[in-house]
Amino acid sequence: MQKLRKLVWISLLLMVVLVFTGCGQQGETSKQDEETIKIGTVGPLSGDTATYGVSTKNGVEIAIEEINNSGGINGKKITLIPQDSKGDQAEAANATQKLISQDNVSAIIGAVLSSETLAAAPIANDAGIPMISSSATAPGVPDVGPFIFRNCIADQVQAAQLAEYAVKELNLDKFAVLYTKNDYGEALKDTFVETLKSLDKEPLVVESYVDGDNDFSAQITKIAAQKPQAIYVGGYYTEAAKIAQQAKQKGLEVIFLGGDGFYSPKLLELGGDAVEGVIFTAGFYDKDPDENVQKFVAAYKAKFNEDPDMFAAQAYDAAMILIEAIKKAGTTDPAAIQAELAKTKDFPGITGKTSFTENGDAVKDILILKVENGAFKRIR
Amino acid sequence: MQVLVLVFINIILAISLNLVTGFTGQLSLGHAAFMGIGAYTSAILTLKASIPFLPALLLGGILAAIFGVIIGIPTLRLKGDYLAIATLGFGEILKIIELNLKITGGTVGLRGIRQETNIWVVSVAVVITIFIIYRIMKSRVGRSFIAIREDEVAAEAMGIDTAKYKVLAFAVAAFFAGIAGGLFAHFYRYINPNSFGFSRSIEILSMVVLGGMGKISGSIVGAAVLTAAPELLRSISAYRQLIYGILLVVMMIVRPEGILGDVDVKIPIQRKLEKLLNKNS
Repeated sequence: MQKLRKLVWISLLLMVVLVFTGCGQQGETSKQDEETIKIGTVGPLSGDTATYGVSTKNGVEIAIEEINNSGGINGKKITLIPQDSKGDQAEAANATQKLISQDNVSAIIGAVLSSETLAAAPIANDAGIPMISSSATAPGVPDVGPFIFRNCIADQVQAAQLAEYAVKELNLDKFAVLYTKNDYGEALKDTFVETLKSLDKEPLVVESYVDGDNDFSAQITKIAAQKPQAIYVGGYYTEAAKIAQQAKQKGLEVIFLGGDGFYSPKLLELGGDAVEGVIFTAGFYDKDPDENVQKFVAAYKAKFNEDPDMFAAQAYDAAMILIEAIKKAGTTDPAAIQAELAKTKDFPGITGKTSFTENGDAVKDILILKVENGAFKRIR
Repeated sequence: MQVLVLVFINIILAISLNLVTGFTGQLSLGHAAFMGIGAYTSAILTLKASIPFLPALLLGGILAAIFGVIIGIPTLRLKGDYLAIATLGFGEILKIIELNLKITGGTVGLRGIRQETNIWVVSVAVVITIFIIYRIMKSRVGRSFIAIREDEVAAEAMGIDTAKYKVLAFAVAAFFAGIAGGLFAHFYRYINPNSFGFSRSIEILSMVVLGGMGKISGSIVGAAVLTAAPELLRSISAYRQLIYGILLVVMMIVRPEGILGDVDVKIPIQRKLEKLLNKNS
């Protein structure tokens, strides 16, 4: 027991030393205050939702590295200060407060989850520090205040754009809607149906299912009876692949439409022949031949040894939009940065052209992908 | 300031859970659910019914206390692990209800709550909580709680209505947890069901255990340490969670009785205050 006690005390001492050396490093970076521009990120780097937060941080890191390697902003280098939120709203609020009052950041990319963003955004807004979330899709995020922006596609926006595309570009006119019963599926279904109505079309039939269902024959039979040209599936790739297969078995010849929940190589694997011709919206397409996209994908793979996902790409774009605004502002004054951010128009990012609306929400041309010969292809 | 407010809110939560777990000896794993009831009730009242903050806060606490009684009665027959599982289940049920009701905003939660909580409000709330719980523990009721913890059968033999006092402990603890929830909601201005899940319950329980069960001063220390530690450790970002975990394990090995353990820290003022309080009663 005596030995154990000693061991414990030594390890405690070690920890204290570690903490203090950690603080020491912090102090050094603040010395370089004048020469660097500080940008913070807030998101879950540990816990259940860590993958989203890590992708976001990585995307921002790639953007900052790219700019620093080409000489920084007006000769100043950018330093990134990532903060962990554990996916918890209180932690996200504390992290934001810390970035603002202790690290004196010029702007923040984050937070990642909608819930933490809604808790963190009022703090940034009250302090007058611009904050861009690259993944909080919940309604109300940009409404928090003038300093809050977001660079992601809300569920509503993608369903509306696909409905328009289907009617105007594909000249389809008889639709059926099949959606999964959760907030994602319902948001997609509601907006798709509304947009159709605004275009003087009415869905022939609207059916629902629950995630994890395996048998969709009841819904497909009902839908087939109405003889639609296309079925909009508001759901994820696993169920979408099964729905497409079962429809094919029943001899139903339709075009399948969907949202970003379709975007996964698993859709092709599970769906096989049946998903040929499926058209869906996506935030990011890593095989896009576009030069900037390929540069980003290569840099990301080289640094993190994995393929970038949508979170990383949107965070990269958010950081680039922010850097562009700081360049134009010519200063790190948060109010000047905010004014330039608000003017962002048609920013050519890797997730499409982005503009901010008056209240700071992103407007972008959403990518539309199609399955052709067992692979994804960008058709818009 | 941000962290200090959270420390104070957590002190209220830890002290109230201590009343059930530390003093009365009933292991509860659903304390965050009461916090959730208080948070949602007060937030809905100020947000949708435009009721002033203070009555909304109290109503939130009262509704939480009612739920405390409702959960207290059927779980009276349960002891130890079984009670713990039942309270855990209660917490999960409540989370599901919050997820599915329209008025609670479902998965999205409630946003745009008025900012009413500040450091002064929570300071007053903490002082009132400590005062009331301290008075309860010094009274006949408090001694009954401790008797139930020490030996339930003996307590009953001594004429203590164990059922009544167990429900009372749950109700009082739930009331203060509800108040803490209301303060939390009006500080962060946004709540969703995940804020009041199982992990929050465990966090509060850790504060009580780490500080020392059955001690008000222990809960204060436990809440302060466990809330401030992750924030102080931010400078070593990547190792933060690791060191936090190690700290917890080491603490439990070195001082299983909690930071304060059987040491009763008495600051000079505390002694004077106690004298004053005891004279008044």
